[in-house]
Amino acid sequence: MTDSHLSRRTLLRYGAYGAGAAALAGTAASWERLTGADIPGRDDGSLVVATLGSAFDQAAVRSLSEGFRKLHPGIRLRINAVQAVDWSDFFAKILTQIAAGTAPDLVYVATEGVQLFAQRLGVPLDRWVKRDGAELREYFADVHPSLVESMMYEGSLYQLPVEFNAADMYLNKQVLKRAGADFPAADWTRDDFTALLRDMKRSSGSHFTPYFWTNRLWGGVVPWLFANGTNLLAESKAPGGSWLWDTFYPAAQRRGRGGGFRWTTPQATDIRVAEAYDYLASLIQEDLCTRPEGGNGSNLVGVFSTGRVGVTPAGGFWAGGLHLAGMRPSGYDVQYFPRWRTQRHQFGAAGYALLRTSKKQDEAWEFIKYSARRDTLTQLFKGNQTTPARRSMLTGTRYQETGPAHWQVFYDTLDKFPDTGPIPAPPQVAEVEQVLLKHTGTALASPRAVRPALRRMQGDLEKAMERDV
Amino acid sequence: MTNTQTPAVRTRPAAPLAVARRPSARERGTRLLAALFLAPTIVGIVVFTVVPIAGSVVLSLFHWNVIDSPSFAGDANYREVFGDSTVLVSFRNTLVFMVFAVALQLLIALVLALAVNGRMPVWLRSVFRSAFFFPLVLSAASISVVMKYLFNQDFGVVNWLLGLIGIAPVPWLTSENSAMAAVILVYVWQQFGFSFLLFVGGLNNIPKEIHEAAALDGATGLRKHLTVTLPLLSPTLLVASVVGIINALQVFEQPYVLTNGGPGDSTRTAVMVIYEKAFEQLRFGEASAVGVLLFVLIMAVTALQFRLSRRFVHYQ
Repeated sequence: MTDSHLSRRTLLRYGAYGAGAAALAGTAASWERLTGADIPGRDDGSLVVATLGSAFDQAAVRSLSEGFRKLHPGIRLRINAVQAVDWSDFFAKILTQIAAGTAPDLVYVATEGVQLFAQRLGVPLDRWVKRDGAELREYFADVHPSLVESMMYEGSLYQLPVEFNAADMYLNKQVLKRAGADFPAADWTRDDFTALLRDMKRSSGSHFTPYFWTNRLWGGVVPWLFANGTNLLAESKAPGGSWLWDTFYPAAQRRGRGGGFRWTTPQATDIRVAEAYDYLASLIQEDLCTRPEGGNGSNLVGVFSTGRVGVTPAGGFWAGGLHLAGMRPSGYDVQYFPRWRTQRHQFGAAGYALLRTSKKQDEAWEFIKYSARRDTLTQLFKGNQTTPARRSMLTGTRYQETGPAHWQVFYDTLDKFPDTGPIPAPPQVAEVEQVLLKHTGTALASPRAVRPALRRMQGDLEKAMERDV
Repeated sequence: MTNTQTPAVRTRPAAPLAVARRPSARERGTRLLAALFLAPTIVGIVVFTVVPIAGSVVLSLFHWNVIDSPSFAGDANYREVFGDSTVLVSFRNTLVFMVFAVALQLLIALVLALAVNGRMPVWLRSVFRSAFFFPLVLSAASISVVMKYLFNQDFGVVNWLLGLIGIAPVPWLTSENSAMAAVILVYVWQQFGFSFLLFVGGLNNIPKEIHEAAALDGATGLRKHLTVTLPLLSPTLLVASVVGIINALQVFEQPYVLTNGGPGDSTRTAVMVIYEKAFEQLRFGEASAVGVLLFVLIMAVTALQFRLSRRFVHYQ
């Protein structure tokens, strides 16, 4: 039998351990949660701006910072260029920073994340916009209302758009010449497009793909859905927003505007959606286009500039990309997306969103205004790596070195097609995009796979849209 | 008169109390030193392994989207995960990937180790060893980016080479039938070097006398390897398969970069689902539940391996 009596010394020792543990637990429980911001030296009082690292080069970031410091010497600014392969990756990294307690004050957010940030993290800019209306009048006069509307959520404005990219069609002129085809007219149709691809294929051999596209939310299947007069999710407008339209836009431009877009009911089984998929499946069957490849299209510049691809959808950002790849302005050109039932285009825009957690909201607003100035954007977008949101910046001089010859197409996509709208990006965008990419891959495996895949897509989209983010 | 007789009944003398000897100052110093040396490792394991595992288990019982405070969910995350066809498919893919990737990896590594261990100049052996191990030191993500170019259906070098011998382009990464095979190939190409090095070491530890005795008994070629080399290499084989399986069950970079889990869900793995649920869909509770299930799966498979090893592994 063992002796169950504890010695006095042992008792005292365990008692001390217990008291120590209780004190430690009590102290830990009474403290606020420690975060990355509590690390000494981490929070230096700067206004922190998170940008997509690959969007601006080092020199552009430096000029952005220096210009702001000159204008506001009292505000310390830190640009945090977050490296990411695409917007989804960028948002994941920003959310990780927020989880770690080191949220930036401002985040560069594209259409993909506008509603997610607005709903959960953002601050409406309405009161500042109203206060500084006189100062902003020139900005709004220079920016298309569709871009501004895409940055609104439930009646409030969350960002001032500084750039956008609509999906137009880039054509390799060497391939056009080889095919003996003329540069397409602005009102070309889907059938003209198909005929052109066939001509290109006939004249360019086996190691050539006439039409290349990337399976993603922007520029994938969605432009074809828009052209066929439909969308992945039913689109409507939120009420409100008249405070902005009535103040800054003439009657003709404010007609039909609301408080931002709403994407609600999934409609993947809509006949027009199926038609768009059938069309792409038929192009694949005919070897006229690539199978849906996921990713950011990073290998596209190489194959397009060397004439192994004839046509691809891209925005103004590609002018800079092709120039960097060594393509001469005369080697390519751009035209609108072809007409099907409509010639409605899709676009994505971006600007700075102010986070609720920011303790420097007034300073952040000053940065937002600064970032939308014409001189700032001129410095930032020197290389034509995107399309500036300001119409006045799109000039022949800007595109002289990089091309394309029809550079007017970029802004005219908004001006000449007033129904052009943003890609569908509700707050549940991450799951919606994943479902779209996943089922697009299976839908286009064969023509018979289209409808079963769209039915599964519909089911998954319904589940995704039911969830609260 | 005083009775001086010894009493007839005597109580058993009490056993002397076992008094623990106090350790000497030298022993205490040695223990302290040992504790100090072990401390960094133990602290590392606790902070970076034990606490995150415990944290994941706790988090799997909560709804948490990073932005709002966590709320208790009970078993709701597990019910959600078990009802999610994508999760179930991802586990099936992970198991399929594990079986083929590990089998291929061990087979290639073993064949090459036997070949390199044969008669050849020392310098050539060194060249082969370095060449086979080299991919392992490269970043899996970088390799996958390069491989994505190589396996591109329309513009990739692999299909171009196949075209030279009259084979039609294969949709390596864009067909449900071939995408998993491509991902396995890329993974095995990078990973087999580790098993290869283990096998080379294991083969060197087999005494030459045993092979000589087997040769005298008439065992040569494949028969010698099956009856002598493999049984003696079985402890190394066990280590290589345990490590290989654990790594394969956690595969992420290759399918994420090469196919992003597609086409459809055909290459989506369990760790990809954890990443997507946590960092893209902000459902950290569900992501943790998937993580806990994967942890249980890895533990179960490893335990099964060790149990089977009692029958199949021979220690000299």
